[in-house]
Amino acid sequence: MRTLDGVGSTPRSGVGTVRWYRPDADLTLPDRPDPESVDVDAELERYETARDAVRSALRDARDRTAERVGEEEAAVFEAHEGFLDDPTIIEDVETAIRDGTPAAHAVADRFDEAVAQFEGMEGRMAERADDLRDVRDRLLRALLDADGGGPAATDLAALPAGTVLLAERLTPSDTAALDPDAIAGIATVEGGRTSHAAIIARSLAIPAVVGVGEALESIADGETVLVDGDAGTLVVDPDDERRAAAEGTGPAVISERVATADGRPVEVAANVGGESELDPAAERGADGIGLFRTEFLFIDREAPPTEAEQYETITAALSAFPEDRVVVRTLDIGGDKPVPYLDLSDEPNPFLGRRGVRLSLDEHADLFETQLRALLRAAATEHGDDLAVMFPLVTRVEEVERAVETVESVAADLADEGVDHAVPDLGAMVETPAAAFVADALADRLDFLSVGTNDLAQYVMAADRGNDAVAEYHDPLHPAVLRALDRTTAAVEETDAWVGMCGEMAGDPALTELLVGLGFDELSMSAVTVPDVKRRIREVDADAAASLAIDALACETRGEVLDVLGLDDREG
Amino acid sequence: MERTVTVEPEAGLHARPASKLVQTANRFDADVSIGRAADGDDGLVRADSMLSVSGLNVEHGESVRVVAEGPDAEAALDAVCDLLTSPVEEDADGKETETDGDDTEDAS
Repeated sequence: MRTLDGVGSTPRSGVGTVRWYRPDADLTLPDRPDPESVDVDAELERYETARDAVRSALRDARDRTAERVGEEEAAVFEAHEGFLDDPTIIEDVETAIRDGTPAAHAVADRFDEAVAQFEGMEGRMAERADDLRDVRDRLLRALLDADGGGPAATDLAALPAGTVLLAERLTPSDTAALDPDAIAGIATVEGGRTSHAAIIARSLAIPAVVGVGEALESIADGETVLVDGDAGTLVVDPDDERRAAAEGTGPAVISERVATADGRPVEVAANVGGESELDPAAERGADGIGLFRTEFLFIDREAPPTEAEQYETITAALSAFPEDRVVVRTLDIGGDKPVPYLDLSDEPNPFLGRRGVRLSLDEHADLFETQLRALLRAAATEHGDDLAVMFPLVTRVEEVERAVETVESVAADLADEGVDHAVPDLGAMVETPAAAFVADALADRLDFLSVGTNDLAQYVMAADRGNDAVAEYHDPLHPAVLRALDRTTAAVEETDAWVGMCGEMAGDPALTELLVGLGFDELSMSAVTVPDVKRRIREVDADAAASLAIDALACETRGEVLDVLGLDDREG
Repeated sequence: MERTVTVEPEAGLHARPASKLVQTANRFDADVSIGRAADGDDGLVRADSMLSVSGLNVEHGESVRVVAEGPDAEAALDAVCDLLTSPVEEDADGKETETDGDDTEDAS
């Protein structure tokens, strides 16, 4: 039993068998045999068999991508198939095999030559080199695997149950392809808790430890590893005791709504970033969706989604939670979430630039209106009366007024067209100090506010959430951030609106009492932490929580806040 | 027989239009070749080869020459030129088809 340290990213544990995912691995060929000793017919047949296998894998990947992402994105696999079955390549490879070259070497030689033709060129031509490398590697894996010694192609969507996936890094689309039921855990050399891939893993409730460093390389395929996402450790060859602890099911799900010990109800909802996360959220007992991100509909594709596509997705979310509220955030692009086809201008400081509702009210008003049409139509469907819509990165009251006017004008258009629609509850995200300071004015004009603590902490503390060098400043427990939260909840208390929180902070059971004390009506989080937070709410006494909040707000430093909360120093 | 047409798809002969062109050329018995109009016979490459077609690096708006020889040469030429002159390439299920053959100049 030995232990490696990393950063716990999904607070769950799982045990399984290691499988390394090395999309960039060098596929090393055996030495070239004497041409006389090569069985030409057998090699020709192996080449054909490998092409059949790769073609079928490419078609599967094409169909899956078309279904999950879109036709445009799937087209790359058709180009790959074009290279796989290119008649000039096939002729050359077969000629080389007839001259006594084994299939794998013949393939490597011919594709390397083709790669060299495109390599070093600009733009689309350079992409062809990537395509050719991808097809070459797929073919080589198929050929080498048939030898029994080589690495098999890793189809992320079809890994055997009980797999612990190790990788240098995982892209968001790698992570989204994983089957949460099959994967016991993931661990990566690189990456941090707030990377998009880590957030997706958390949404899928896949135990994850990231940022393990090069030490991860010491674990080999086939070893048994426990991924402990609470402790942020990997245990190789765990003993029975550790295994049993990890394999015990997570905390019991509480499917009913919860209230504090003295009866104050608090909604516990889930943050969701895609349709595949809806069922896991419902299974973990979420009281609805407190943040439905719509960016996944827009990124990784070549054109924006249609109104019909968005309508389908929103109604799917409403059907997954027929009795509960679903809060959809309108498109929040810009900042660190670029979208190629939108031609967003390069800005020296994108986090302080054109992002969120600023784009929706101006250069991307067309996308905003299309999205609102889909939302208003969805609000008139069977489960649509619980739909709520919120606008991201609000700073000014005028923005809310204009957004509400746009909703009204879209409603008027739909009425003129005779299309069924309804106006959902409308809200704003409080992610900026400006929004916190004018929360009273925002709440007067809206049905609810929801605090995004990741951005709020970034803007209050002037610390880029993605910059490790200022990680200690990006601190939701700094008194300044707590006072901004208090400012928001206190302002809402005077109105008919409700106030929720949908940042990472909401999912930390150690902070639940504080957040209840600050007056939040709703907490929305990665689904995986819903059971823990529900359990914690039942233990909390609302009056005691309110005094705790008052004490925390009186603090001058983070250290004092931690003392008040009875916490040791911890990662921010 | 042959024709010279102007390439309409925005992406030029890259990505999806290139795959579609290769798939289309493969559907016919005729030998179809394609090249930049200005490059003459030396510039012609096999239209059924993804490697060759991508290697041309033809962009939107360029003039290309398509040559087809064989039993169904005319049909092959029609299909390939339709693709080259349609701003939105034809989908597998025929969605978003916008065929526009007006840019075709018959040269055979």
